[in-house]
Amino acid sequence: MENNMVHLKIDGQDIEVKKGTTILEAAKQAQIDIPTLCFLKDINEVGDCRMCIVEVEGRRGFATSCIEKVQEGMVVHTNTPNVTEARRVVLDLIISNHKVDCLTCTRSGNCELQNLARKFNVLDVEFKGKITEHEIDDLSPSIVRDFDKCILCRRCVATCKKVQGIGAIDCINRGFDSCVSTVGNKSLKDVNCTFCGQCIEACPTGALHEKETTRRSMGKIKRSRYICCSANSTSGKGSSW
Amino acid sequence: MQTAPAVRVALGEEFGMKIGSNVTGQMITALKRLGFDRVFDTNTGADFTIMEEANEFVERLKNNYNLPMITSCSPGWVKYIEMNYPELLPHLSSCKSPHEMFGALLKSYYAKKEGIDPSKMYVVSVMPCIAKKFERQRLEMKNNGLYDVDNVITTRELARMIKQANIDFVELEDSKFDDPMGEATGSAAIFGTTGGVMEAALRTAQDTLTGKDLEKIEFEQVRGGDGIKRATLNIAGKEIKVVAASGLSNAKIILEEIKSGKADYQFVEIMACPGGCVMGGGQPIKSSKIRSEVDVRKLRADSLYSIDEKSHIRKSHENPILKKIYEEYLEKPGSYRAEKLLHTTYQKREKYNI
Repeated sequence: MENNMVHLKIDGQDIEVKKGTTILEAAKQAQIDIPTLCFLKDINEVGDCRMCIVEVEGRRGFATSCIEKVQEGMVVHTNTPNVTEARRVVLDLIISNHKVDCLTCTRSGNCELQNLARKFNVLDVEFKGKITEHEIDDLSPSIVRDFDKCILCRRCVATCKKVQGIGAIDCINRGFDSCVSTVGNKSLKDVNCTFCGQCIEACPTGALHEKETTRRSMGKIKRSRYICCSANSTSGKGSSW
Repeated sequence: MQTAPAVRVALGEEFGMKIGSNVTGQMITALKRLGFDRVFDTNTGADFTIMEEANEFVERLKNNYNLPMITSCSPGWVKYIEMNYPELLPHLSSCKSPHEMFGALLKSYYAKKEGIDPSKMYVVSVMPCIAKKFERQRLEMKNNGLYDVDNVITTRELARMIKQANIDFVELEDSKFDDPMGEATGSAAIFGTTGGVMEAALRTAQDTLTGKDLEKIEFEQVRGGDGIKRATLNIAGKEIKVVAASGLSNAKIILEEIKSGKADYQFVEIMACPGGCVMGGGQPIKSSKIRSEVDVRKLRADSLYSIDEKSHIRKSHENPILKKIYEEYLEKPGSYRAEKLLHTTYQKREKYNI
């Protein structure tokens, strides 16, 4: 049993965890919270966004804590000024190519990117340059995709492929042109999507959301009131639809 | 307006309440305040689904026909089998999903009883699901030229409507669903979790097969969060093999077993979303952090099981409203009128339109 345990130090705390544990998980066991963005437990563990970076003594550069496994004698620091500044830069870069219309976004208040920006005091976007522009796909009866809010975390892709075994969406192109797309860049209504919506549940931002029909309902309430008046007078029934 | 079982144990989360809080009463009050004239319980529709599905299952079992029978109330799952395994479509139960059944009954039985012109009714379903938005528009979901359901909104959308109307949800008093279609059973409540539809149908099927009012109604074997739950049950002296799967990767495993002839089950429940409707694509979104620290599925599902336990009536066929509507209007499960209103057909569907 002893051989299966690894000893390390995180933010000055001596801890013992099972071999094969990630730094992120080890920190959690010691009640230390490390911020994440692309990470989705058991589904998307790819070390893509670099929000979870930490410093490891004796190492050049940062370690990506959501995928890096602990090692015997490791000394980890999760919130040095270097780490905090690097995370702020990462966020700055992501936001620099994000359609920031938070006031009118369905996810405002429940957006993981917005929460991190607040937490890391991103008050200004330093990097200004070209911004990717895509058409919104709202042709299916269920799902709307707004690529300009996509941060390429791949949580939706992993959910569709691994959890549901469908693979209706995947990443295409490289570098600045990377985006999540479908076969032949078709609308979700024309591909093998089942409209289960698990991708929406996985999305940290407003890039994926349901097709809103609340205004239709409210409109009908107003109109049906009118209808019900006439229905009442003709049928004489007290019910109103 | 009608509301699905899984909505009532999740809606509160959008207003800062604990995960799994049962907010049925407050939800009804909020819907009334929003201006909906009648608020009904989709659970009553679920009771009809169980009656029809249990009847269909008993018939298939007697005649050893198209077994195993697979449930059909998850529209994402139905679209999946239509696209990927059209050759297995005869195994699918012909039952419409609960809210579609209920919509069809509202625009026929209820409209007639209340003297309302069905073309002037506007039926909205609040669902934990976004595939229901697609299901609603299927041409098979029409009767006399009218869609059974006119609009589907998700749990999240309802929360937004309540916020928009400036209603303080947490402080609302409780209300009750409207009569005469307001009472539902415990069986219907557990429709919202994986294994629940099967458990509900088995409660009715075992009474039908034995002709008795059996007390053993909890089927622990099909509860819990596993993606695939297999069980062998003894019902009316017969050994019945069942399996409940949730998440489409797990559905695929079961379908491959059926396709290759390895499967020896008689009854299969499949839900597209992992964990069933409580974890549906229209439910409140939980951050990565919450998902890794809390078992959201369990909290919401436990709340549904506790609604079941507290229910006076826990078997669908004992619901007095159903008895009444079958007596007055539908005759019996599987009758001509029931087939017309409550059952549907499926079609092979191309995966890609290119």
